[in-house]
Amino acid sequence: MSIVIKNVSKRFGTFAAVDDVSLKVPDGSLLALLGPSGSGKTTLLRIIAGLEVADQGTVMHHEEDITGYSPRERKVGFVFQHYALFRHMTIADNIGYGLRVRGVPKPERMERVNELLKLIRLDTFGSRYPSQLSGGQRQRVALARALAARPAVLLLDEPFGALDAKVRQELRQWLRRLHEEIHVTSVFVTHDQEEAFEVADHVVVMNRGRIEQMGTPAEVFEHPANAFVMDFLGNVNVFRGKVERGKAVITGLEVAAPEHSDSGAGEAEVYVRPHDLVIEQKRNGAAAIEARVVHVNPTGSRAKVELRALDSEQVIIAELTEERYQELRLSPGDHVFVSARRARVFAPQYSI
Amino acid sequence: MQPDAAASVSIPPGTAAGFAPVRRATEDPRWVRLALTAFALGAVGLIVVVPIANVFAGAFTEGIGAYLKNLTADADTLHSILLTLTVVPIALVANTIFGIAAAWAVSRFTFPGRTLLVALIDLPFSVSPVVAGLMFVLIFGLQGYFGPFLRSDGYAIMPYVIAVLVVTAAAIAYLLFRPRDKAALRGFWKLPPLLVLGAGGAALFTALVFGQQALEVWPKNTSLKIIFATPGLILATSFVTFPFVARELIPVLDAVGPEEELAALSLGANGWQMFWHVTVPNVKWGLAYGLILCNARAMGEFGAVYVVSGHIAGQTDTMPLRIEKLFQEYNLPGSFAVASLLTMVAILTLIVKSKLEQHLPAPTNRVESDP
Repeated sequence: MSIVIKNVSKRFGTFAAVDDVSLKVPDGSLLALLGPSGSGKTTLLRIIAGLEVADQGTVMHHEEDITGYSPRERKVGFVFQHYALFRHMTIADNIGYGLRVRGVPKPERMERVNELLKLIRLDTFGSRYPSQLSGGQRQRVALARALAARPAVLLLDEPFGALDAKVRQELRQWLRRLHEEIHVTSVFVTHDQEEAFEVADHVVVMNRGRIEQMGTPAEVFEHPANAFVMDFLGNVNVFRGKVERGKAVITGLEVAAPEHSDSGAGEAEVYVRPHDLVIEQKRNGAAAIEARVVHVNPTGSRAKVELRALDSEQVIIAELTEERYQELRLSPGDHVFVSARRARVFAPQYSI
Repeated sequence: MQPDAAASVSIPPGTAAGFAPVRRATEDPRWVRLALTAFALGAVGLIVVVPIANVFAGAFTEGIGAYLKNLTADADTLHSILLTLTVVPIALVANTIFGIAAAWAVSRFTFPGRTLLVALIDLPFSVSPVVAGLMFVLIFGLQGYFGPFLRSDGYAIMPYVIAVLVVTAAAIAYLLFRPRDKAALRGFWKLPPLLVLGAGGAALFTALVFGQQALEVWPKNTSLKIIFATPGLILATSFVTFPFVARELIPVLDAVGPEEELAALSLGANGWQMFWHVTVPNVKWGLAYGLILCNARAMGEFGAVYVVSGHIAGQTDTMPLRIEKLFQEYNLPGSFAVASLLTMVAILTLIVKSKLEQHLPAPTNRVESDP
């Protein structure tokens, strides 16, 4: 079932947690709400679940306005960051709880519980208590519990936030596979852009209670709508300069900025991803920034090079492919020329 | 510390260093430990164990037969035991309901005056019981604000009291049984809640008040005694033991946190189901702990009860008051016999309390790797 959110706002005192947000979650999709802490993503999720009441705006399931509905009527499954399993109930009772409060008879309930225990690969754990399970197992139980009553929508609040890196990686892939199997419309909240890109088919980037951009992971990553999104989605070098007649000019560097061609001259910020920087040992005619190598870290799939611009003393981070790194054989102190293969120019408006 | 450190370093040559007696930096010399332990044991023995043993010794001086006779043969003593067994359970129920409501409000909501409420819950702890008793005398006593009215036609308030209780119960029942799913609403349930609660409540209230007055359920022009009667004892006991349940529950509710309750709601539970399925099992040990302390205090309450009871033997004497009266009458075995009962309650409380404490700390079910 699709979810449509129209002009939803929520204030806590004077703080606008969610500020006039409109959003559509397509039927059967897995959507990630991505943003830094305090960006309103969890509040928005709770408003969808009915655990928080919006000050303004409407929430619709398909065609039905559910703004005034209680969580019970909304048929949502909610997975909490810290699992929130009922500590005094067994795993089986935990999973069956949603059916129990809806008056499903016991034999039917047990059947569904066993089915879900198999799905989360904890078949033999039904009679244990939450405290006897590991973090990853608990989170799977929490997911099974949320799915037991066959919700129309599954909502996950930082589902992997409290787990260690390896378990998190496994659970992400498992969630992705699970979603492909059961195709329930899902929304999950995360502050980890890697997680959002890996799991979701739609990403919504939020900041300060507003939506900055939405789209598929590829769209958002390749075409960030603004400086915030560009900055939030990964490491980036920011150069300050001027924009003039469709060109951004930084000392020693020129970047085409066709989207700014009709605007007049003004300040500009040029954003370049580390892997879009080109390092040359000799000046090859094109404009380039002169820099000195400070540090080289060759581990990983790409070599990371820390540079310092000679004139502005700005720190620049560049990433080289292994072949290019072997070719250049950089060492600290080397004098190099840096240019950009690809860059994005934004007018300086925001500050983090 | 310095000389000791030096001593443990100067191990005689030939002794392997690994076998030297290990002494931790926080450990005191042996004589300090022995002296402190002996002092603590001695003090507890002198102040606690000897007097308690003496109560039983005093009670049993004339043998078990005399002990039982002291307890059962005297009608006034028997009545005092029954009176305590009437007053205490009522005070316990009242304080349980209040305690759960107050603890819930304090730990689950933020509202203006929340800190004030926390402070007020503690007030009975800091007010002298005698003053507490006196407060009730000043309100309900003959010379008090309501005294003349209660004396001339006290039962006239009963229709109102009953009506308020019934209307409240009906409103709670309406809110509890109202179907949650809007689709399931039909017939009576389709009426707007505010209309049902407002108009229905008013109608029920009026009907009950006039009904009781018309049928003359309550005696007319009769004095309703609160002070120097059982209602006063219940009021005074409830007031003095008022903080126990709430105070024990607030930290437990805080430690458990609201997440499991939210989870229950998100899974489709209504408020009533959430409370009984999730909240109560999570706080039951804290609640039991508060109740057992409350019970011990209520049973032994003397000061406040002393002021409101008026000491009418066979009518308003509770066990502690009876003990005092027997003692004043130089009936030491009788006095000690009743005292031994209260002491046994105290010892039982102690045992149950230490059992409950094992169950108490159940802070969270989060994993250690939490950020």
